[in-house]
Amino acid sequence: MKFKYPLLIVACALLLSIRCAREVPIDLPEQPTRIVAISHFTNGEPIQVELSLSQSLLDVGDPVYPEDPDITISVKGTFAGRLLQMTDDGGRTYWQTRDAAVLGTEYSLTVRIGGLETAEAASTVPVPVAVAGVLADTNQVRVIDLADGKLALRVPLRITLADLPVGNRFFAFGLRHEIEIFELINGERVPDEYYEADTKFLADGRTLTLVYDTPEKVVLVNENFWSNGQNTLTLDAIVPFDPTYERPSRIFVELRTLSEEFYRYHLSLARQGNNLPLNDPDALYNNVSGGYGNFSGYSRSTDTIAIPNVF
Amino acid sequence: MVTRILATLFIWNFWATSLSLAQESPQQRLVDFSCVACLPADALVQLSRQTGINISFNTAFFQDCAPISIAARQESFGLVLEKIADCAQLSYKWGSNQVVLYRKIQKNTLSGYVKDAETGERLIGATIRVLPGASIGATSNEFGFYSLSLETGGYRISASYVGYRQEVRAIELDADRMLVFALQPSSALPEVVVTALPTAEVKGGGPHSGQNLPLSTMRNLPMPGGEADVLRLAALQPGVQTGVDGLGGLHIRGGNADQNLILLDDVPVYNPSHALGLFSVFNPATVSNVRLWKGDFPARYSGRASSVLDIRTRDGNLREYHGEVSAGLFAASVTLEGPLKRDTSSFLFSSRTTYFGPWIQFFSKRGNLLTFSGDDIAYRFFDANLKLSHAFSNKNRLYFSYYQGGDAFQNQFVQRFDNEEGILTDQYTLSSEWGNAIAALRWNYLLRSNLFTNTTLRFSRFFYQSRLTLLSNFLTATGKENLLANYGQFYQTLIQDWSGKTDFTYYPINRLVLRWGISYTLHTFQPGALSVNFLVPGQSPLTIDSLSKVLLNNERLGADEAEMYAEGDWRFWRNWYLEAGVNLSTFQIRNSVFRVPQPRLRLLNSSPNGFRTWVGYHRMAQYLHQIGSFNISLPFELWVPSTARVQPELAWQVSAGLGLRRSGWNIQLEGYYKRLDRVLTFLSSSTALFAGGAEDASGWEDRILTGEGKASGVEFVLEKRTRSTAAALVYTWSNAERYFPDLNSGRPFPFRFDRRHDLKITVQQRLFKWLDANMIWAYATGNPITLSGIKFQHHTPNGDIERNVFVYTEVNGYRLPAYHRLDVSLNAHFGRKNIQHELQLGVYNAYNRANPFFLYVDGSSGGTARAIQYTLLPLLPSLRYALKF
Repeated sequence: MKFKYPLLIVACALLLSIRCAREVPIDLPEQPTRIVAISHFTNGEPIQVELSLSQSLLDVGDPVYPEDPDITISVKGTFAGRLLQMTDDGGRTYWQTRDAAVLGTEYSLTVRIGGLETAEAASTVPVPVAVAGVLADTNQVRVIDLADGKLALRVPLRITLADLPVGNRFFAFGLRHEIEIFELINGERVPDEYYEADTKFLADGRTLTLVYDTPEKVVLVNENFWSNGQNTLTLDAIVPFDPTYERPSRIFVELRTLSEEFYRYHLSLARQGNNLPLNDPDALYNNVSGGYGNFSGYSRSTDTIAIPNVF
Repeated sequence: MVTRILATLFIWNFWATSLSLAQESPQQRLVDFSCVACLPADALVQLSRQTGINISFNTAFFQDCAPISIAARQESFGLVLEKIADCAQLSYKWGSNQVVLYRKIQKNTLSGYVKDAETGERLIGATIRVLPGASIGATSNEFGFYSLSLETGGYRISASYVGYRQEVRAIELDADRMLVFALQPSSALPEVVVTALPTAEVKGGGPHSGQNLPLSTMRNLPMPGGEADVLRLAALQPGVQTGVDGLGGLHIRGGNADQNLILLDDVPVYNPSHALGLFSVFNPATVSNVRLWKGDFPARYSGRASSVLDIRTRDGNLREYHGEVSAGLFAASVTLEGPLKRDTSSFLFSSRTTYFGPWIQFFSKRGNLLTFSGDDIAYRFFDANLKLSHAFSNKNRLYFSYYQGGDAFQNQFVQRFDNEEGILTDQYTLSSEWGNAIAALRWNYLLRSNLFTNTTLRFSRFFYQSRLTLLSNFLTATGKENLLANYGQFYQTLIQDWSGKTDFTYYPINRLVLRWGISYTLHTFQPGALSVNFLVPGQSPLTIDSLSKVLLNNERLGADEAEMYAEGDWRFWRNWYLEAGVNLSTFQIRNSVFRVPQPRLRLLNSSPNGFRTWVGYHRMAQYLHQIGSFNISLPFELWVPSTARVQPELAWQVSAGLGLRRSGWNIQLEGYYKRLDRVLTFLSSSTALFAGGAEDASGWEDRILTGEGKASGVEFVLEKRTRSTAAALVYTWSNAERYFPDLNSGRPFPFRFDRRHDLKITVQQRLFKWLDANMIWAYATGNPITLSGIKFQHHTPNGDIERNVFVYTEVNGYRLPAYHRLDVSLNAHFGRKNIQHELQLGVYNAYNRANPFFLYVDGSSGGTARAIQYTLLPLLPSLRYALKF
């Protein structure tokens, strides 16, 4: 009986020490700081590159943006120009070529920053795959009640590719819509101004499981989507609006033909699972040797669909 | 001319030979012979002397013959000989000037069953030997049946089985005969934890690959909550690994969890676990035999690429009514069994349920393991087993097995967000159920004394379904309540089989066992569906029933699978055994047909001094696949069939080993190399919820990636057993890789359960007759995980989304800390014959090792970054009491 209580105390202490979750010091994979270059470019527009430096996963501050990099573009191994420093409306800095990119030309990017490994990458603006047509079935447009008194139009869309290539079926699409703001003058709706917004969409289950959100303004389509002769993307665009002073007027449909670098990079981002536990993330696709990021071309075509006035 | 000469020589030679034979053959020679009241043996000696013809015979042939009298004049020698030897019924072999008398050997078949003397239960894998010398023997099959081919005569036959006293019976065999052995249980120390060597110890009946798992040990080993567990016992074998603390299923020699064919009474079990893998669905009170093959399985098994775990349930006591009530910290069970008609029919019923929910609440709150857990969280599982058997005769027996089991998880929680405008309340309700239903009707029939048949009708069904609803209300500052969202998901996955099979086992000679059979299975798949809906005020509220209707319209896939096999276990020369067979299977779905021949070959040498060597080649095919998005095996993962786009998985394995079993020692070393072709992985959809849409499984074929895998390893076993101690050391060195062209930038990467070193030490010590102590210490290299050490921000000029990108340089390129733990238990057995008590007191993970279940690097919350390690099972005391009556 004498040792009964100490044993009890030890048992209680052990039970209290039970923890299912705890912070642990870990040795994360060591990687030196590297240049991060992000650029998606298309024909007819200058190549724009955003630069930053990679961070340790445990760093919580903002990334470092290099101030004096040497960024050059070359074509087929020949120097084609040095990129110029620009600043956008939000005050962020990026670098841009003087000339617009040309379809089918391979561009090579080189970034040099003192003390860091030189980063190099190459890509091409691919020849766009023709779009046979973007159709809206205006007879099937439906009005949906939303909770806050607003309405939404559900507009069926069909995006059909003309000639589906045998390989490299790398595509993305983007949807935006335009809303007309009107004033009621003498009981009549008089257009006042317009604004654009991203358009959400619905689709069948197979489609939704094979498309991926990207940090860009487009949705990536898995190349397997185009299996079995499938050449049409069928979507229902959802356009919310306030019927008291708004009217949906147009939907802009953008179809991008992607270089493999664009497609693989964003596919690997989609497979990261947001760093959640128990997920099986894929390794990041990286075409920037000596650094990180993505330098990739794409070409695009756009269509505009006028939304019928259902009221 | 030459031809003519050769022809002449040939004819002359033929004539001369014929003449010579006619002259020298003693059979037709005419003799005079007489003898009055003389013994046949003496008469033969006299005849030989008189004629000069040598007569060879054994005097024992005439031991029982009466004196004879013969008077023969000018009768043929053969006729006289027959008259003398008539009573012995002998055969003759004639020579030029001699004759040999011999007794024609008559082969008889000794067959029968081996059973438990107390319960009447048939014993699987019992050894039957012919004494002395034990040079002839057999092993009882899955229904306790054996067959031996023996000459007419008297024999001493022994039957033995681990945990039972050997029984020796003397028999006179002059015709086919049935002999049933009833063995008495012994109170010896239970088996060693690892019984790794092939079980055939007799020089007959085939080498029988695979290993029987020691069930008597299972109930004594320390396990979580004191719950004895077949799968945890299997995990103590070399080459067998699990995820952390049993989660994640069994991974055998680098294979996926879905590559294990787990059979319960010959019926495939699609979900073998409760509580995500903490407990198996196999109630230990109902299990009679478990046999494990690690890729070297015989041709009669097919359908999986890695292993076979064949679990057989008890029939129930044929003589007396008995029962068992047990209760542990996590679960309680009750078992009843007895004769419906003594020695003819029996029943066995067992049911088990859990009170695991409070533990989940405890652990989830202490460790924030379930971060969404709220006030109302509940979990439970249950099992029910029923077994009926009826013997119409010794040759005719019927079995019916039924299993139903399931898990249920419910969680309700509420989130509130307050601001100046009002209060937003989100009420989530999640409920999930999953489980198996399994039935088998089996008919044993002994067509001949050496031809055993078994016909089985089978049913197996596994389903998972979950419902998630969200009610989102906004209470304004003015007191007005608005229903913002009424959201629901319904998800279901289902696989269901109806099948029939017939197996034949033929024992033509003692050195050969032949098996062949056919089977057909109709598979039905419903790969899963997730429906999402939004409703708004003014419309009818969302109900799960309405979602179920959506689901029921989901496509169901049907597939036909047929197979035939033939295999033989053959001792072809001295101590050399060959186990060879081929399985031919066909799988048809939609318009696609797959046919895969699967040869299996194993060569074994087993010398009388206990030394063994073996080598094998086995090829396997798999038509059913479990695919999921997480890195552990979870019940809501989809079972899907092979299709034209998702081709069958193929595997082959070569293995070789050697072992020595002598004086209580068992040492074994085995190496293997395995290739897996067309292994699958599944990509989850990431934008379904972003898009606010519905996800279903109709696109699953497009989200599967196909790759390759390879695994190699060396397994070492060292066992020692004395009268009071049994100890085993099991070490496995292994390397398992996967390669998918579309993953890891096309580079091979470690399999998610690849562990370079795996060590298990088990000690069982009998302290007193009524008390024993057990210990398990396990160590394993940490599991590989994919971890990022670097991040950057993706932001393009004019891009409007800034996203943290984690640089995963290598898939599974980081190793979690090593896994190790110590489990100990004390088991007391006491009571009288009619009422027995078992008490187990134990500790799982005795030194409270925080083994990592997963590691999560949170680099985005609150301005601090941290690595969080989640542990599943810390120190767990266990207490279990069982009352047997």
